[in-house]
Amino acid sequence: MLSVLQKTIRPVQVVRGVHQSAVQVLKQPAPEDTVTGSFGRFISEIQPQHLSPVVLQRSKRMVLDSIGVGLIGSTTDVFELALQHCQHMYAPDYISSVYGRRDVRLSPTLAAFVNGVATHSMDFDDTWHPATHPSGAVLPAVLALSDMMPASRRPSGLDFLLAFNVGIEIQGRLMRFSNEARNIPKRFHPPTVVGPMGSAAACARLLSLDPSQCSHALAIAASLAGAPMANAATQCKPLHIGNASRLGLEAALLASRGLEASPLVLDAVAGVAGFNAFYEDYVPQPLDSPHDGRAFLLEEQDMGLQGSALPAHLGCTGWQMLQLLSISFLWEVSPDQVRTSCSESHYSKYINRPFPESEHEARHSFQFNACSALLDGEVTVQSFTPAAMSRPELHALLSRVRLEHPHDNPANFNLMYGEVQVTLVGGDILRGRCDTFYGHWRNPLTNESLRKKFRSNAEVVLPSEKVERLVEVVDKLDRLGDCRDLLSQLQ
Amino acid sequence: MLRKGITESFGAAIHALSASQLTDGVINRSKRMMLDTLGVGLLGTRTAVFNKALKYSQLLTSEHRSSIWGRSEISLPPYYAAFVNGIAVHSMDFDDTWHPATHPSGAVLPALLALVETLPSRPSGLDLLLAFNVGIEVQGRLMRFSREAYNIPERFHPPSVVGVMGSAAASAKLLGLSPSQCRHALAIAASSAGAPLANAATQTKPLHIGNAARRGLEAALLAQIGLEGNPAILDMDSGLGVYYNDYSPSAMPVCASGDFRWILEDQDVAFKRIPAHLAMHWLVDAALEARAELQETAWTFDLSQIQRVTLRVPPSKYINCPLPTTEHQARHSFQFNACSALLDNRVTVASFDQARINRPALKELLSKVQVETPADNQPSFDKMYCEVQIETAQGQSCTARCNTFYGHWRKPLSQEDLVEKFSANASSVLCTEGVEGVIDVVENIEKVTEGSVLGSYLRMTSNTHEQMYLTRIL
Repeated sequence: MLSVLQKTIRPVQVVRGVHQSAVQVLKQPAPEDTVTGSFGRFISEIQPQHLSPVVLQRSKRMVLDSIGVGLIGSTTDVFELALQHCQHMYAPDYISSVYGRRDVRLSPTLAAFVNGVATHSMDFDDTWHPATHPSGAVLPAVLALSDMMPASRRPSGLDFLLAFNVGIEIQGRLMRFSNEARNIPKRFHPPTVVGPMGSAAACARLLSLDPSQCSHALAIAASLAGAPMANAATQCKPLHIGNASRLGLEAALLASRGLEASPLVLDAVAGVAGFNAFYEDYVPQPLDSPHDGRAFLLEEQDMGLQGSALPAHLGCTGWQMLQLLSISFLWEVSPDQVRTSCSESHYSKYINRPFPESEHEARHSFQFNACSALLDGEVTVQSFTPAAMSRPELHALLSRVRLEHPHDNPANFNLMYGEVQVTLVGGDILRGRCDTFYGHWRNPLTNESLRKKFRSNAEVVLPSEKVERLVEVVDKLDRLGDCRDLLSQLQ
Repeated sequence: MLRKGITESFGAAIHALSASQLTDGVINRSKRMMLDTLGVGLLGTRTAVFNKALKYSQLLTSEHRSSIWGRSEISLPPYYAAFVNGIAVHSMDFDDTWHPATHPSGAVLPALLALVETLPSRPSGLDLLLAFNVGIEVQGRLMRFSREAYNIPERFHPPSVVGVMGSAAASAKLLGLSPSQCRHALAIAASSAGAPLANAATQTKPLHIGNAARRGLEAALLAQIGLEGNPAILDMDSGLGVYYNDYSPSAMPVCASGDFRWILEDQDVAFKRIPAHLAMHWLVDAALEARAELQETAWTFDLSQIQRVTLRVPPSKYINCPLPTTEHQARHSFQFNACSALLDNRVTVASFDQARINRPALKELLSKVQVETPADNQPSFDKMYCEVQIETAQGQSCTARCNTFYGHWRKPLSQEDLVEKFSANASSVLCTEGVEGVIDVVENIEKVTEGSVLGSYLRMTSNTHEQMYLTRIL
């Protein structure tokens, strides 16, 4: 008899030329003994009272930020494209709201899709450690699902917040199944691996599925997970979050109708890959029962939220911006004075782009972000417009950038630093270094800063009364009787 | 090795391949694949998994509607029609298998048929056939980007890796996209690839094909309206390479006007006679032969006299299931298929009914089965064999071995037998006119002016069947 429950996984002996009587071969382990089963149980049994004040507070901040980022994201080309696609392909189904579009409603999965695309369209959404973008994969799905539920069954604000946190927690747990996940990814884009799982978990929770159905929701979602890193820094990247959201919702809906999948999808079974297909090293851990009083990961590990000035990849932005802002401010450097500019950061191929051609590439370019900051004294949403990107002075500066990768600078959002050295024509050398940018989990945005970012995003598409109401409603989310108050303010 | 421009070459090829480059051999083979796929799909519309997916998909409405195979009253937006029809095709593991191993047709045909019903350009049968072959060809090429792919998989279920790419390529072809758009369709599709093998042998496995079909279609539609992905998606290890341990892509040849060597020309598919994993076909053939031998040598053939059954098979964990409880497990079980063959002297669609799975006589026989994986038995559909040895209480022993089952690419089904399989499958839901209509259209597809006519036959249900079905679900 082979037990699959264990903290370290021993591979099953591959049978070669050995007699094997039918009754001796492994039977299916009971759900309670599997990692997959423990996840199913957790999702099904967790209650609002398990949310601590810290977790409540942090998650509400995430909800607010995510909505704001989604609202401004609804002004992007990629969003428009995704929306057009859904509208052309499907009749208006009048069910779930689309961020910032008053007269548009879509079927729940498509609403989750386009709102997810909006959220990640500018790389402006939250980042966690180990690295993924958790909220964009979950919030749109939970919103869309809530819109779908009849008035009598509509969740309270607390139910909503709990489901959201379940989706975040599951993602955090799954990221911790692998050491590789602690570093900036090379293979699969993490939101596409854990995002659908988080969305499935959150939706399963909101639908009040039983433990077995919750497990199946995860397993169905696993068959929809995984996209290659090569599509990051392209227009396709925002769809990674859009798809995570909608496919997880879909998995939960299919599970609610009785669709079944592998009951061992999270467990490591030798010779048949489950969720570990997406990892190099894989050490799954069961989730403790909620009754054992274990905290949510969000309690221990906060989110990185990018300040209103920094809609670009985390690795490029925060660190360097602060150095350059300080350099610009102190020395009033003008571009033609710059002989060379040397950027030191961790090694990561997909954010090393000396001459980005599209907005998506620019958001994933150390060099571009450094030069924009040097030129303008800030990096904002405006920095990525075509006009701003095609400036000759920017190009001149870009041609003078050299990128170095010191050995002590690992490709890891928790440990990296950024340093910029500017050599002026006259020979002066200016230096700036940043270990922890404002908005990093070690130096979180204040509530004021967070709201400021939200307002400046949301006001692009919503009238100020709705913007203020949203701030209020999210702040009181855990005390809201009916989450309809939240849903009605989004468009 | 310089890998530049592979993706570009694919985009160019998808765009440029023309009907004049379809050879007779390829036309013939691909039409057989289409017919088999339709039959298998029609039969599959009676499964539980299909019905769950259908109910789910009916949440949506659209002005664009495509047929659901075997349903006269329902139509769905093309994306969901492709989804559910794709699920139907793979629902019973009855669809075609290629080498290196994947199920190529189910990922492509449902998407194309859904699309062809909604395009204002009204593609012809020949357009449809060409697009189908583009989708097959691309899959074959991508499977050859890796040595690992030549063996029975362990990590990702291959249809989920290459199927969506094939669907995207085929859809892009039918839509008449530019080379650049074709590239982007592939890139977008890559972000929808890859499902883990653990869901094989479960009710979710059919969704791997359904998802491949619909998400490839979606990728092409998104590319059509201008969405872009990484234009070097096939060139990069961090692109399609993420799904393989060894990845060595190569370009598609330029095919502007000259001859084009299709993979299907050199490598045929296998069509299944049993709705189960391909490996079971070797096993059932061997089991039936061993059984016949025993019946001949023994004066009376009595199953209760069997003491031990030894199966010698290639190593593959996900098809080694000693005591299956569900139909999906049963289709992926060496042991189950061998015992069904011994018990009933045949393995058919009906063998996988729950009642048959639960039979005490079967379970008793299952307890006498042993599985061995000899070192010379490689987990490759091109090289494997299966051997069955039956030992009786009286001391008799009969052994039979199958190297190539009937239906394998080395021993293809005759046209009559292929059509017979289709008829038996299709008749479970279509009336005679529908059955014969499909056979006729596919047989002459390159001369059909409107590809969408196929959809109309696929909706010609037999009244009795549809009524029976409706009463059952109420």
